[in-house]
Amino acid sequence: MKNRWRRIRQDGVFLALPTILWLVIFFVLPLAVVLVFSFMSRGRGGVAIMPFTLDHYQRTFGVFFIILQRSIGLAALTTIVCLIVGYPLAFFISTRRRRIVQQITLFLVILPFWTNFLIRTYAWRILLGEEGTINGFLLSLGIISEALPLLNTQLAVLIGLVYGFLPFMVLPIYASVERFNFRYVDAAHDLGANDVRTFTRVVLPLTLPGVLAGCALVFIPSVGAFVTPDLLGGTKGLMIGNLINKQFGGSGNMPLGSALSIVMMAVVMISLLVYLFANRREARA
Amino acid sequence: MTTHDVELIDIVKDFESGGKLVRAVDHVSVQIADGEFFALLGPSGCGKTTTLRLIAGFEQPIAGKVLIRGLAMEGIPAYHRPVNTVFQDYALFPHLTVEQNIMFGLQMEGVNKKEARKRASESLDMVRLPDVGARKPHQLSGGQQQRVALARALVKKPAVLLLDEPLGALDLKLRKNMQYELKALQRDVGITFIYVTHDQEEAITMADRIAVMNEGKMLQVGSPRQIYERPETVFVADFIGETNFIAGELLERGPDGFGRVKLPDDTVITAQLSGTLSRSSGPVRLAIRPERIGIATIVETEGEIIDPGEFTVLDALLIDSQYIGTDTRYTLRIGDATELVVRVQNISELDSSAIALGQPVTVYWHNSSTTVLDN
Repeated sequence: MKNRWRRIRQDGVFLALPTILWLVIFFVLPLAVVLVFSFMSRGRGGVAIMPFTLDHYQRTFGVFFIILQRSIGLAALTTIVCLIVGYPLAFFISTRRRRIVQQITLFLVILPFWTNFLIRTYAWRILLGEEGTINGFLLSLGIISEALPLLNTQLAVLIGLVYGFLPFMVLPIYASVERFNFRYVDAAHDLGANDVRTFTRVVLPLTLPGVLAGCALVFIPSVGAFVTPDLLGGTKGLMIGNLINKQFGGSGNMPLGSALSIVMMAVVMISLLVYLFANRREARA
Repeated sequence: MTTHDVELIDIVKDFESGGKLVRAVDHVSVQIADGEFFALLGPSGCGKTTTLRLIAGFEQPIAGKVLIRGLAMEGIPAYHRPVNTVFQDYALFPHLTVEQNIMFGLQMEGVNKKEARKRASESLDMVRLPDVGARKPHQLSGGQQQRVALARALVKKPAVLLLDEPLGALDLKLRKNMQYELKALQRDVGITFIYVTHDQEEAITMADRIAVMNEGKMLQVGSPRQIYERPETVFVADFIGETNFIAGELLERGPDGFGRVKLPDDTVITAQLSGTLSRSSGPVRLAIRPERIGIATIVETEGEIIDPGEFTVLDALLIDSQYIGTDTRYTLRIGDATELVVRVQNISELDSSAIALGQPVTVYWHNSSTTVLDN
């Protein structure tokens, strides 16, 4: 008994206790509530009542499946665009010889965080709107004769998401490239690899951890995004986050919202597992 | 006709450092023969590694020409040059196995996988590491990584192998073994080796010829014996081995390559002049190796036959002696201020304790053991 007590003390369980309590009270319990709610029926005012039902899951994979699909699709596309834009940018930043240039460019990447995300997304409404900056500019140049429908499209959501999450792609890749030993580039050139093959066979594999981390950090919040599609997507750009948001509002449906949340969480979990798997393979390889 | 594998013609390379231009390689010209083991020797920052990188194609000279097998390398990228490099930190790809590392260069040439695998295995046999192909570089010891780096470069059968301090990261004993092995390997494969090192002993024991570099300049190129015995500058004499420098004044140059030099205590001695000595009189420095100086007590000298025409004999005072195993290292003073270090091999146990401190002794050396250098 005494031994056991000592072991518990040595394991540092007590140090972790506040965190464990915090997680149980504010994460595990609410999650359990959501899980249980998702199997309950809708009562008046959208609350959850008995009896248990699978109704909400059926609707999630039925009428709402297209929105689930769109969310995953837009998130995937966001991730790809962020990667295409972010990798060269991160590479550029981390290969600057002068430290000060690196610091300034990194600072510029993080600078948008100084402004509230909502305000920045509203700014995109002004840019993309029918009488917005972009349309106005193109019209005045005579390149187009009538305003392009930019706002309230999936494209607008994509632009907004890429804009919002790009730093999350750039920073981990930056860290990866920063750690990359450029002697390997010399070695690859020395062994006869041209620039393209040096990149695909040496640079990319060795910076892959950053790429994977960046993809996870962009994909996961993108799937659940609701501010951006709400402000920029209109009805055509509705995503699962908006749907969930609505279910917990005035005339909502909490059990349905819970079911949607659980499914979305499952998507996130799967993408995390993919990330961990790829990362482990990378570490082993 | 001797063929030159590598020829550098008046190479210049500058680097920008803190907003200033620093000359890393300063008008270097040298010809390296086919199959030669050529060492670039110098202290850190002397430009030896930059010279190597210019040959490899990682850097481009701002002036001058690099020729490999007679072909101008200007505009030819590193991946098209017939040279391979063993890097100081080996630069083995950490995400690939040892075998994949060695196959990498072959696959870039378009060699098929089966053939590449076969040649990789032969190459590992050659560096006597047959069983590590499936391992990752980080699972190998430093010495093993070094061999893999060597195998990876040699498997491409380059015209020239460039080695950038390849043994620098190994401990002393392993380094000695690898020196021997590298030399043997070079003889077997017959490839030209250009070997960068700051370790003079390494250069002397391994190289056919050594180029001593300092501050971007190639000060002297020659066989290890020439470099050691006949240094042409004070820097070379000082950098390679231990040297006594005695300040003196050149009185006259003889026609036979010898000159009369006045020492600080006004003794005049005869000494051999460096082939590159520019002045015909005035202040010079006399260099002489500690092991070239003999010590005798007065009693002994009487018995020895020393031809005064060929030898310099001076009185000296023993001020310190240091037993270092194989040798005893004596510090002596000649005249009022000039100190000399003398190394005498301990042939019998008595040698090291034969002379007492403060005892007047005689030192002597053959006149040709000295080199008179520009100050």
